[in-house]
This record gives sequence, C-alpha cells and structure tokens, in this order.
Amino acid sequence: MTRNLTRILGATALVAGTLPLAGPAAAEVTLRALMEDVPETSIIESLLPQFTEKTGIKVEFEKIGYGDMHDKLVLQLTAPESFYNLLSVDFLWAGEFPDAGWLEDLGPMARASQMNLDGFIPAMWDLLGRDGDTIPIVPMYNYSMGLIYRTDLLADRPLPDTLEGFVDLAVEMKPVAGSAGLAMQGQRGDPNSMEFSNFLFAAGGDYLDPENKVVLDSEAGRKALALYVRAMNEAAQQGALNANLDDTRRIMCAGEAFSMISYWWMLPALDNPAECPAVAGKLALAVVPGGHGESGGWGWGIPRNISAEEKAAAWAFIEWVQSPEIVKARALQGHAPVQTAAFQDAEVLAKFPYYADAGQVVAAGKSFPIFTYSAQYEDVLGTQLSMAASGQARIEDALSAAAKGLADQMAH
Amino acid sequence: MSRTSRTGWAFAAPGLSLLVIVMGFPLAYAALMAMSSMTLRSFRLSPLVGLENFTRVLGDPLFWQATWLTVRYAVITVTGEFVIGLALAMMLQKVLRWKAVYFAILTIPMAMSPIAVALIWRMLLQPNLGVINQMLRGLGFDGVDWFGDPALAVATMAAVDIWQQTSFVVLLLAAGLASLPREPYEAAEVDGAGAVQQFFYITMPMLRPVAAIAVVIQLINEFRTYDLPYVLTRGGPGNATEVLSYFAYRRAFLGLSLNEGAAASWVLLMIVLALTVAFFWLLERRDGRSSG
Repeated sequence: MTRNLTRILGATALVAGTLPLAGPAAAEVTLRALMEDVPETSIIESLLPQFTEKTGIKVEFEKIGYGDMHDKLVLQLTAPESFYNLLSVDFLWAGEFPDAGWLEDLGPMARASQMNLDGFIPAMWDLLGRDGDTIPIVPMYNYSMGLIYRTDLLADRPLPDTLEGFVDLAVEMKPVAGSAGLAMQGQRGDPNSMEFSNFLFAAGGDYLDPENKVVLDSEAGRKALALYVRAMNEAAQQGALNANLDDTRRIMCAGEAFSMISYWWMLPALDNPAECPAVAGKLALAVVPGGHGESGGWGWGIPRNISAEEKAAAWAFIEWVQSPEIVKARALQGHAPVQTAAFQDAEVLAKFPYYADAGQVVAAGKSFPIFTYSAQYEDVLGTQLSMAASGQARIEDALSAAAKGLADQMAH
Repeated sequence: MSRTSRTGWAFAAPGLSLLVIVMGFPLAYAALMAMSSMTLRSFRLSPLVGLENFTRVLGDPLFWQATWLTVRYAVITVTGEFVIGLALAMMLQKVLRWKAVYFAILTIPMAMSPIAVALIWRMLLQPNLGVINQMLRGLGFDGVDWFGDPALAVATMAAVDIWQQTSFVVLLLAAGLASLPREPYEAAEVDGAGAVQQFFYITMPMLRPVAAIAVVIQLINEFRTYDLPYVLTRGGPGNATEVLSYFAYRRAFLGLSLNEGAAASWVLLMIVLALTVAFFWLLERRDGRSSG
C-alpha cells in the first residue's frame, strides 16, 4: 500500500507540474465515474474493493442507460469543475471530446508509469483517437457486434453466409421462436444506427472511402437498407421500431427470439442459466453473415477540469484496471478484452470457448465514422432509418438524406 | 407619481426584483445566447451573430413539423385533461364519504416525476413482454405496437400525459366547483331547469375563470413537454413524436449548438406567450359581450 501510495503521489507530482492545483492527497480522493449499465461495468465493479484495498482510493460508479450518458458528461465537461473525475468514453465521442479540449492527454502519464501500450489491440487505439504519443483515451473494452443465435432452433442447418440469406432465415424463424426471428433495436439514434451499420458493412457498403469521401448512398447501401427494412417489418419483434438494447436483450433472454445482432459480450450474460434459463446453453456467436459487423469500444479518459490529485488518482485506477492480472480477472467473468493476451489465455479460453469466435468478430469489425459530430450524426442517420422502416420515407430518399447529412456534418 | 403609487411601487419592489433576478436574467441570457455563436465546443458569446440562429432554425422544415406536432399534441392533451378532469371533479363534488381518500388517490400521478411515469408506462406498454399487451392477448386480441407505430405513437404518448396531468386539472376544477354559490342552482330548480341546462347555463359560465386558468397552465405545460418523448420514443419512429422542446434539446446537446437550441426555445416561448395572450383576450372579449 505504501509503495502504491508513493507511486500515486509521484503521478500527482507529474500532473501537478502542469496544473498546480491544491486539493486532498490522491489516496483521499473518491473517484466518480458515469458508466453504462452493461455487464462490463458490473464486472469491473465487482473488483473495485481490490483497488481500494490496494490504493486507499474509493471508486463510485453511477450506472445509467447509454442514451443519457452523452448529455450528462458534456454538461460536466463544460462546467468549471467536473463532478465525474474518471470518464468512460464511447468511441463515438472520441472525435468530439478531445477536439473540444475536454480531455487530459494521458500520454505523459502512460510513459511515466511505463504502461505496456503495445499489449493493446492496435485497432482499439485507432478507434479511440491515439495520435502517436498523444493518448486522449485508453481502451477499456471492445464492443464489436456479431450474430448471437439459437443453436437449438437452427438444429443442423448451417448459417447462411450472405446477408440476404440470413434475413430470409430470420423471417422464417420468427414464428418458430415466438416473437422474433431477429430481435432488433430500431429506436432512432444510437440503437438503430449501430444495428444498421452491421447491415451496411455485411452488404459490402461503407460510410466513407479511404479518402474520407461519403460513399453511403451506393448500390450496397440501398441493398443494406432494403434488407434492414425487410428484417424490421418481417423478422423483428412487435415494437422493434421503438426498441433499444435492453428490449432486445430481454426478448432474447426470455427465449422469444431466434437471433440478435448485438455486442458479442452479451453472450456470457445470456448464456448464464441463473439469468436466462430459457436460452442458456443454446446460444452461439458468429460474424454477421456477409463477413463484417460494426466494431466499437469504450475507453478511459480523465477530464481536464478536475484537480491534479484527482487526475493522479484517476490514472492510478486506469493503470490498475488495465493491468494484465485485472484484465484476466475481468475476462474470467466475461470481459470483452482490448488486450491481445486475454484472447489467448488458456484459462480464459477453457472457460469461454467462444472467445475464439469473439476474436474473429473483433477482427472482422468496421467502424462507424468518428468525427466531432458522430453523436449528432447517429441522430440524423437514425431518423432516416426509422422513417424508412416505418414507411414514412422511401429507401432511396432516406439513404440519400442520410448520406447528405453525413457530408454536411463532416463539413461543419 | 402620486404618494399612493410610490407606496405601491415600494411594496412591489422586493418581489419585482426577485422576479427580475430569477426569471428575467435567465431569459435575457438565453436571448443573448440565441444571438451568439456559443456552442458546447466554443463556450463564448462572441461574436454576436444577430438573428442568424433564428433564421437557421426557422428555415429547417423539421422545426415547422415539430411546431405543428406540438400544437396538435397540446390541443389533444389539454382537451383530454379538461374533459376528463371536469367529469371527475363533478363526480367528486357529489361524493359525501371518503372524499379525502379519493383526492389522495387522484393526486398520486401528479406527485410522480414525469420521468418515472414515462418509465413505468414504457414497461407496461412494452409490446412483447409488457403487462397490457399480455392482458390483451389473454383476452384473445392482438398485441398493440403502442410506440413503434407512427400512427399510434403520438396518441399513446398523449394518453400517458393525460393520465398524469388530469389530477392537477381535477384539483383546480374541484376547488372552483366547491366555491360556486348554491342560489342560482336553487333558482334554476324552481324554474324547472334540468341537470344538463344547469351545467351549460350556470356551472360552465361561473366556472369559466377557473377553467381558463386550468387550460392556460396546462397549455403551457404541454407546449414544454420534453420528458415523455425523451424516455418513451426519443422523438421517433422517424419524426413522429418530435415535439418542439425535444427539437430544441437535440439542437443544443446532440448538435452541440447551444445558440440554435436557445433560439428554438425562444421561438417556443413566443408561441406560448402569444397563445396565452390570445386565450385571455378571447375570454375577456366574450365576458365583455356577456355582461354588455
């Protein structure tokens, strides 16, 4: 404990060198983080007593739904002093938050504490905006999306390898499963934007080309949206147009759906007999038919508008929670790793054999466009998707408006 | 200025000062923001851009769609709240025993946070696992897609709103009904007027001032509705439930444009003010004609 305290005080001195603010010693700081209410948060939460015992620093997680997080964080980050002194940052905000100057550069702290940056999956650094030595966000966990499906309902049939084939299968499976062949999260905004991205990538489309030119309004884009609308109307559960992640999880857990395109780390929670007895032991994970899914991730950040002591305490936490032993402990509870070693750990693979499939899902993932107005663009895209799926707009018009919206937002 | 007038101003000064601080300052600041280049990324008022933000907001077709939806939504909800509220208030007037208990039960929705109300109804109306659709299915009907069907989403949201807000109207109207004099009713009974005639020719005219207050307060409330679309639908499906306050929120916090959000909020304020003034003007004109 004394040794750790010395390291924390050392880090405090490092941070204090650039920001000479007064305040309590780091060990007396209580870290407060706004976290999404998902299994990963619960996993980390279960390990927090170890951190407090080791460092004396208390950590409080405020768990809420994703939809409310951005606004709450922005209000704190634009305040004179942020209430949250440890940040969980979605990759969709990895353009906005650093551009606005709200985040501390974690590069100097990472170098001072000799964190093994090479142990992280390189794509996760790209996703979260690392630029050489400048590190606004340290990866926390990935949320690549894959297909979670019921093996008992599929029986011996193989999964189709194209998106069209899969949508046909989902339509066919709807009456077999009860409520949905594909449990869909069609609520406008983040839920339907993330879900549609899988259709887009699986159909061979993309948002941007390598030169950052908008290519959403393409033949592949129209095919993806047509299949998305068909799935929403013929394969999804009733009310899918207003459903979010929690709704799809509940339907899948209740055994009322054949499949869901969702974050792969949903699988350990759904495959738990205590939580979801109707489906535990009957689930498998695969790359979205078509070959690509949406890939995202969360990271840790430290706000600029807090004291040097709080920054030091926050860094001590980040260093601890991403350390190899804690990452392994998290992985043994179903964590979605961002460090390569966890995917290859024999003990982890013995407990969760589908981590090998998860590795493929992560590797096949493509990213939603990341720029300053990504969160705003989710709303623009989500509105058009929702209008197309509900018959308020034609597929061609919705896609064209979504592409124009992206070009406008990027030019903002 | 006469001595009486000066005394009046002296007594009113503390209250007026408080009003200026509590209401005037935020309004003035919002107006300044609406004419500034302030965004969440650049938290500065300068440079001031005049009416540019208003032009941008008013030039957005979605703004007019949201405005029209807000007007329709306010008319539907206020009408529903008034009709149901008046019926309940009149029924409660006839109740002799357990009146306090009935009032206590009726005020429960009003005492609840709109966010909690929205969350409760979201769960109850969940199409697949919600209690209401389960009951409908149990009775042999199909489940209803309450918030996923664009044609039904506004009506469902309005129904939830009416459920919560009616109790406030009941309280106001019940207080108004209790204060009405008995003599006109006794005279009407002697003249042979029936219950319906008494309602239209005695109760409604005498209740008009209280009813007008109830309608105006609820009209203002409904124009500001934000919590319900935020929790229930996020403005969807498509733009089916995007009311004006949610439009302003999206501009300010998702679009990071505090200035455009403030401009939209000022337009909303102007609409509410205009409606309130027009409503009272019509009421006074009608009263003037009645008494003349």
